[in-house]
Amino acid sequence: MLDFIYTDGWGAFAVMLFFQIPFLFFFIRIVYRKAYKNTGASETDPQKYPLLEGIWIATVVALFVLVNVLSVVYMPPVTTAAMIKKGGDFQEVNVTARSWFYEISNREYEVGRPVIFSAKSVDTVHGFAVYHPDGRILFTMMLMPGLEEASTLVHTFTEPGEYKVRCLEYCGIVHHGMQDVLIVR
Amino acid sequence: MSTATLIIQKVPLFGRMFNVDTKNGLEDINSWPALITMTSFVWLVIAALLGLLMPVIQYYGLNTNLFYTSLTLHGAAMAFPFAFQLMVGVSLHRAGGCLGKKANGPLVALFYICMNVGALLLTLAVLGGFKVTYTVMFPLPVVGVQTGQWSMEMLILGFSGIALVLISMIFLYPIQVLRMLFFSEKHENLVLSPRTLKDPGMLGMLIAVLILLITGLPLMSVATPILLALYGILPMSMVTWAVEPVVFQFVFYIFAHNLMEAMAIMIVSAVYGTLPLYLADGTRKLYSDKLANAALWILLVTSLTSFFHHFYTMFPALPSTFSYHGNIMSWGTGLGGAFTIFTILATIWKHGVRPEPGMIMILAGFVIYVLDGVTAMVVANVALSFHLHGTMWTGGHAMTVLLAMSLMWMGVLYHHYPVITGRSLDAGRGKSSIKYYFFGGVGLMYAFMAGGASGMPRRIANWTEGGYMFIGILILIFGLMLAYGIILYLANLSKSSEISLD
Ligand code: HEM
Ligand SMILES: [Cu+2]
Repeated sequence: MLDFIYTDGWGAFAVMLFFQIPFLFFFIRIVYRKAYKNTGASETDPQKYPLLEGIWIATVVALFVLVNVLSVVYMPPVTTAAMIKKGGDFQEVNVTARSWFYEISNREYEVGRPVIFSAKSVDTVHGFAVYHPDGRILFTMMLMPGLEEASTLVHTFTEPGEYKVRCLEYCGIVHHGMQDVLIVR
Repeated sequence: MSTATLIIQKVPLFGRMFNVDTKNGLEDINSWPALITMTSFVWLVIAALLGLLMPVIQYYGLNTNLFYTSLTLHGAAMAFPFAFQLMVGVSLHRAGGCLGKKANGPLVALFYICMNVGALLLTLAVLGGFKVTYTVMFPLPVVGVQTGQWSMEMLILGFSGIALVLISMIFLYPIQVLRMLFFSEKHENLVLSPRTLKDPGMLGMLIAVLILLITGLPLMSVATPILLALYGILPMSMVTWAVEPVVFQFVFYIFAHNLMEAMAIMIVSAVYGTLPLYLADGTRKLYSDKLANAALWILLVTSLTSFFHHFYTMFPALPSTFSYHGNIMSWGTGLGGAFTIFTILATIWKHGVRPEPGMIMILAGFVIYVLDGVTAMVVANVALSFHLHGTMWTGGHAMTVLLAMSLMWMGVLYHHYPVITGRSLDAGRGKSSIKYYFFGGVGLMYAFMAGGASGMPRRIANWTEGGYMFIGILILIFGLMLAYGIILYLANLSKSSEISLD
């Protein structure tokens, strides 16, 4: 389940709902009640508020910490650094982006063998997003021109297929046409 | 009669909505804010039409250039001459009435001119081909000239417009508010609802304008030499440091992120100022001023460095330590939000609330604002950002925060309206405008987030080809709802009736 939450856009959607739904429920309920049903001053013991305040803030902090701590092992900077440190049999791929196409040193990869993508842009800001054949985004990189260092990310493809590449940073009037295809066998 | 009042009277359609009451002796705080607010709604109407045009263009597969033109104009008009200008109009009126200071004078007039002339110049440049979106995407403006996408003239025109808009937001408005807070003369007859800097409703205003001024300075320091070089006043060799993409992008987002945060702090403080006036038991106090102020300080401190979340996916050019920092600070902003939610709910629980349209509008806007805050935190998580950055999720977040804050300002304006115009609004029409705006806005938000979740890139002109037209249809449907809410709101202003004296 954590895989779904942190590696799929709909997982992010689920995290969003997880926070939004309780908020909507309580906020609307309380306001509705105090605006239409029982509008006067309430009899709640004033001593109770600080306690409620404490519970509320503690709950929020705990949930915030939980969601982020669980995400650490899914952070591409973390996994990439760990993979590179560990070393191994990588497939190295250099990507050069320019308006509005990619030069990619190698477009065919093997299943299960980690790929290091090193990507640069030579004109304006571009993106390099790789899509799973089912349509979800595996990862996206922002390529800022003029930098010494390439944007770098290690990804291991687990299924064969055709993986679409798209630019996700608006780069001018043919931005939508900036696409490519990678093959995993 | 003041110049602003005269201008308003001459404007067809919108003039009626904002016709200033000249008999109540409050023209010094009413007329310029009314003109500024009125103009912001003119921009809203244009921008909303462009918003609706976008899904239509995509549906019929019209020229892709038309889409990028609408996108750039819609984003720019909604963010600056609408949302920001609406905030300026209403908040100047607030400052005037709370402090007893005049809300007119040369700085206010200059703000008005710079904002609107600037936005107009940018509009002309975009119509002339300068399709760079409202975030400029530097160095795209220059690369676009080199690749023949638009001309050097349009680049210079567009940058001149942007410079005027930035001057109005970074210098003119903040300095005017600082003048009113600390320097200009107090007039007892203008004090409508006295407040001091100890009140959360006023403290937020100070914090917000300081953020604009301070985080805007680096951007102005980079943008000014670039503009001077474009005009031929400085040699290009002197500005190579400033046109370095990473330099520009960082100063840009340090400002742009904090601009949104400043606007949020400004409106939250207006909510803190207005809510107590609508409490059912007549107490005119928040649950706790201390907690309210703490929320503002948390928002300030966390917002300053959370802008790193714009750059996570540059890794390792953005060292991961900054990514983690940005992640933590962005969620820290959420903690400020949690304090605000508690303050508002505890206040309402303790004292009850009168459900008048202005107040409901503010609360409805606050609900959208919090929902949007969640979407922002989700993309500000480093792991999730690598799946969502640059999709409709991020575009939807930017749009939703603006439309939420604007709804809150429309609520505050609803509250101020009788003082400004001497006329009262129809509660029924007010309430149905909220309904349409709220459900339209929330629907738009979920449509954009669903687009982002399914991998739909933002700012692309080929929704159909990507298989994303379904989201486009939802955007059109909820967009029409939102637009109808706006029409009802404006119709209410237009049909307001004289408050009788007896
Ligand atoms: C009237 C109904 C509206 C419709 C149908 C609509 C539609 C759209 C669409 C289709 C996009 C482009 C998404 C993309 O491809 O990236 C967009 C972007 C945007 N909208 Fe709206 N919108 C509406 C109202 C608003 C309002 C009220 C605001 C602000 C107060 C707003 C602010 C923005 C912003 C800031 C963007 C981002 C532009 C960019 O990414 O360059 N919109 N809107
Ligand atoms: Cu591109």
